[in-house]
Amino acid sequence: MSILEVKGVRKVYTTRFGGNKVEALRDVSFSVEAGEYVAIMGESGSGKTTLLNILAALDKPSGGTVILDGRDLSKIRESAISAFRRDNLGFVFQEFNLLDTFTLEDNIYLPLVLSGTGHREMKERLAPIAAKLGISELLKKYPYEVSCGQKQRAAVARAMITSPKLILADEPTGALDSKSTDELLSMFSEVNALGQTILMVTHSVKAASSANRVLFIKDGEVFHQIYRGDDTNDGLYQKISDTLTLLATGGKTA
Amino acid sequence: MKVGFYPKLAVDSIMKNKKMFTPFILTCVGMVMMFYIIMYIGLCSVPDSMMGAESVRSMLQLGSVVIAVFACIFLFYTNSFLMRRRKKEFGLYNILGMGKWSIARILFWETITVAAVSILAGLLFGISFSKLAELGFINIMNGEITYDLNISWVAVARTLEVFGVIFLLLLLNSIRQVRFSSAVQLLRGESTGEKPPRANWLFGILGAVVLVGAYYIAVTIKDPITALLWFFVAVLMVIAGTYLLMISGSVMFCRLLQKNKGYYYKPNHFVSVSSMAFRMKRNGAGLASICILATMVLVMISSTTCLYFGEENAVNQRYPRDINIDFRFGGIDGLSDDIAEAVRRDIDGMVADAGASAGNVISYRTAAVSGYMTDDGNVELDVRKIDDRDVDVMANVFQFLFVPLSDFNETVGDDISLGDDEALICVYRHDFDGDVLSFNGGRSFHVKKYDEKKFEHGEGYIISPCMVVVVPDLEYAVEGIADMTDSLGEGMLQYRMKYDFDTELDVDEEIALCDTINEILYSTPLDASYMEAKYGAYASIASREENRQDFYGMFGTLFYIGIILSIVFTLAAVLIIYYKQLSEGYEDQARFGIMQKVGMTKRDIKKSINSQLLTVFFLPLLFAAMHLAFAFPIIHKLLLLFGLDKVTLFAATTGVSLLVFAVFYTIVYKLTAGAYYKIVSGTKEEF
Ligand SMILES: Nc1ncnc2c1ncn2[C@@H]1O[C@H](COP(=O)(O)OP(=O)(O)OP(=O)(O)O)[C@@H](O)[C@H]1O
Ligand SMILES: [Mg+2]
Repeated sequence: MSILEVKGVRKVYTTRFGGNKVEALRDVSFSVEAGEYVAIMGESGSGKTTLLNILAALDKPSGGTVILDGRDLSKIRESAISAFRRDNLGFVFQEFNLLDTFTLEDNIYLPLVLSGTGHREMKERLAPIAAKLGISELLKKYPYEVSCGQKQRAAVARAMITSPKLILADEPTGALDSKSTDELLSMFSEVNALGQTILMVTHSVKAASSANRVLFIKDGEVFHQIYRGDDTNDGLYQKISDTLTLLATGGKTA
Repeated sequence: MKVGFYPKLAVDSIMKNKKMFTPFILTCVGMVMMFYIIMYIGLCSVPDSMMGAESVRSMLQLGSVVIAVFACIFLFYTNSFLMRRRKKEFGLYNILGMGKWSIARILFWETITVAAVSILAGLLFGISFSKLAELGFINIMNGEITYDLNISWVAVARTLEVFGVIFLLLLLNSIRQVRFSSAVQLLRGESTGEKPPRANWLFGILGAVVLVGAYYIAVTIKDPITALLWFFVAVLMVIAGTYLLMISGSVMFCRLLQKNKGYYYKPNHFVSVSSMAFRMKRNGAGLASICILATMVLVMISSTTCLYFGEENAVNQRYPRDINIDFRFGGIDGLSDDIAEAVRRDIDGMVADAGASAGNVISYRTAAVSGYMTDDGNVELDVRKIDDRDVDVMANVFQFLFVPLSDFNETVGDDISLGDDEALICVYRHDFDGDVLSFNGGRSFHVKKYDEKKFEHGEGYIISPCMVVVVPDLEYAVEGIADMTDSLGEGMLQYRMKYDFDTELDVDEEIALCDTINEILYSTPLDASYMEAKYGAYASIASREENRQDFYGMFGTLFYIGIILSIVFTLAAVLIIYYKQLSEGYEDQARFGIMQKVGMTKRDIKKSINSQLLTVFFLPLLFAAMHLAFAFPIIHKLLLLFGLDKVTLFAATTGVSLLVFAVFYTIVYKLTAGAYYKIVSGTKEEF
C-alpha cells in the first residue's frame, strides 16, 4: 500500500516585488510505499527543500495533490494541520533545530507534550529509542553542551518518538563529519529495517546509497530513479555516481 | 585604510540594528530632555520674589541630581540589552579577522553618533518644552505667567557635562565586555542558558529577611523624626530585598515548576516555563527593576498629591485664623488674668484702629514642657535621665500643655469643674489609658479624658505626641516643675498665650493690618519691644494668607518634582518592559519557529505566551502594591513633618494612584504582549 502519493505537484514562487516568477517545481509525481527508504537527489536549487516543505504541509503547492496515508493534504483544515503534522510526520533537519532552552530529553518530548501525552508514557517511549540511538547518558544535557552528531541523534529521536507514518529528513548529514554520518546512516537503515518509512533529501552520494530507492530531480521534475534491487551499498553508490555524471553532462537516460 | 571607514561602519551598523537602537536613542533623548528641563526651571523659573525661593531652588537641584543618577543606571541597563544582541555581530567580525581594537573603534564611533544625536535632540526638545514645563510649574505655584522663551546656557553646559560622562562610562563598559570575552563566547551570546547561582536559597532568605526588616521599620516607627532618619534606610532595604528575593525567587520558582512533571509537561506550560528558566536571573532582575520603579512612582505621586491637595488643610491647621499672634512670657506672672486681659485689649485696640474688629477668637494660655512618659503615667522631665539607647524613645516624648480650666471652658464652650488634684486631658497622636499622671519632681493628677477633637486648634503642627492637661489652677499645678532648669540653666516651662482671630477684611487689607500690628509691636527703638516693655512678653504675628503662599511654594515644588520624576520613572518602567519583550521576542523567534515545524499551532503559541506573561507581568505590580501598603504608615508619619495629618486623604491619593497606575500598566502590557506575539509568531518584517 502506498503511504505517500505525489501527483503533478507544481510550485511557483513569486518574488516580493511581483514580476519575477520562479518555477521551483513543474510537475513532480511519485509514490512511496510503506516501509520504503527513499532518497531524493538533485542539484542545488533544483527544488528539493521546496518539495519537502510541501510534503510536510509547511507550504502549499501551486498545483497538484499530495496524499498522505489516504488523506489529501490540501483538504485538511488550517487549524488541524499542526496536529496532523505532529501525529503523522517526523522531521530531521540539517541544522538540527533543537531548542537551546530545553535539555535533550525535553527537546525529544516536545511533540508528545504538544499532543498532550502524560509524562509516564513519554518516559516509557523514550527509553528504548534513546538506548538505540546511544544518547541515554546525554538526556539531561543542553544542546550547546553536546556535539553535532549527538544533536542530530537527539533530533532523530524527536522525529521517531511519535512513531510517525513517515520520517522526512532534509540533508540530515549536511552538518556532520564522516564518522557521525556513517552512524546516522546505519541508524536510518536499522529503523527502516524495523518498518519505518523514511524520505530523505540529500546531496551526498554516500547518504543516498544507503537508501532502497533514489529519485533524481531536475528542472522541476522527477528525472530518473534507481532501485537498489540486490545491489550492495557500493554497487548502488556506483550507479548513483554514474547517473549524476549523466545529469551534469545533460544527457538523457533511456 | 580610508579615514572615514570606522565612522561609516558605525553608522551602518546603527542603521542595521534600527529596531534595537531606536528605543535606546529615544530613552537617551528623554533623559536629556528631562534633565535640561529641571535644570532650567531650577535656574531660571523661580522668581526671587517668591517666598523660600532658595529652598525651592535647592529642591529642584536635588531633583536634577536624582535624574542624573537614575539616567546613568538606566542607560546602563538598556545598553546591556543592546550589547547582548550585538555580541553575535562582534563575534563574527572578530572571526572574520577584525581585531578587538578595531571593534573598540567601531564602538567608539557608534557611541559618539548616538551621544551626538540624542544630546542634540534631547536639548532641542528640552528647550522647546521648557516653556510648557515652566508654565506648569508656575501654575502649580500660583505664580504669574510670562510668555518669553529663554535658553539657559548654564543648563545646556551642565547637560553636556553630565551626559558626556554617562556616555563615556557606557563606552568603557561596552569595550570591557568585548575585550574580555572570546570570539566563540561572543558568537554564542544568546544561546547559552543561565546557570542558577550557587547558594541561591541563601540569597532568597537574605532577601526575605531584609524585606521583612524594612517592613518592620516602616510599620513600627511611631515618631516622625525617627521616621525621617529611618526612611532612607528602609528604602534601601526594600530595594535590596526586592532584587534578592525576585532573582532567587524566580530561579527557585522555575526549578520547582520544572520538577513538577505533571505541570511542566503540559502544552501551555512546557514552553513558557523552560524559557523562563533559561533566563531566570535576568528575568528576576528585570521584574525587580519594574517593581522598584512602580513603587517609587506610586510613593511619590501619592504623597506629593496628598501634600498638594492637603496644603489648604495644613495651612488651616497651622494657622487656624486669619491673624495669629503668639505671646511668650518670662514667668508664670505673665499668665495672670490681668495681663491676659490687658494684652487682648491692646490688640483689639490696634485692630479697631485699622477700622476692623477681631471675631471668631481663639485665645488661651498654656504652660508647656516636654517629658518622657512611661506607660504607667510617670513623666520624666529631665532629658538627662532618659535612656536614649531606645530607638523609639522619641515616640514617647510628649509635649505637655497645661491649660487653665477657665480658658479651656471658654474655648470649647463647655462648663466643666475640677477638684484641686484633678485634671482633664486631651491626648494627640498617642494613646494613654492610665488614671494617674504624675510628673517626676512635680505634682500628680487624677485624670479624666476629654474628646480631643473638640480642642484641636493649633496642635496640628506639633509632630510629637501631645497632651493637653487642663487644670483648675495653673500656678498650683506647675509647682515644682516651674523651678526646674535644663542643662543650660534655663527654666523648662514655657509660658505662652495665643490670640488668633478672623477679620472681615480682604486679603490685601489683612496683610496690611498684620504689618501695622507688627510695626507697633516692634516699634519701640531701645532694647525692648512694645509688649516686652509693657508686659515682659515676646510676640510674634502670622497672617494665614502670607503663609499660604509659602506653603504653596514648598508643596507645589514637591508636587512638581514628584510629577516630573514620576514621568521619568514611568517611562523607564515602560521601556524596561518594552526592551524585555523585544529582546526576548527575538530570542524566542527562532524557538517558536522550530516548534511550529514540530507541530505547534498558533493557538498553542498564544496560550503559552499568555501563561508566561501573566505569571511574570503582574508580579511586579503585586509586589509594588505590597510595598506601598507597608510604606503607608511611615509615609504618613513623614507627611506629619509637613504639618499634614490627613489619613483619609492620603489613603485616597494612594488608592487612586495605584488604580491609575494599574490601568496604565495593563495597557502597556497588552501593547507589548501584542508586539511580542507578532515577533515570535514569525511574521518576520524586514527592517
Ligand atoms: N521563498 C522563496 N521565494 C522565492 N523563490 C524561492 C523561495 N524558496 C526557494 N526559492 C527558489 O526555488 C528554487 C528551489 O529552491 P530549493 O530551496 O527548493 O532548492 P534545493 O534543491 O533545496 O537547493 P539546495 O540543495 O541548495 O538546498 C530555487 O531557485 C530558489 O531560488
Ligand atoms: Mg535545500
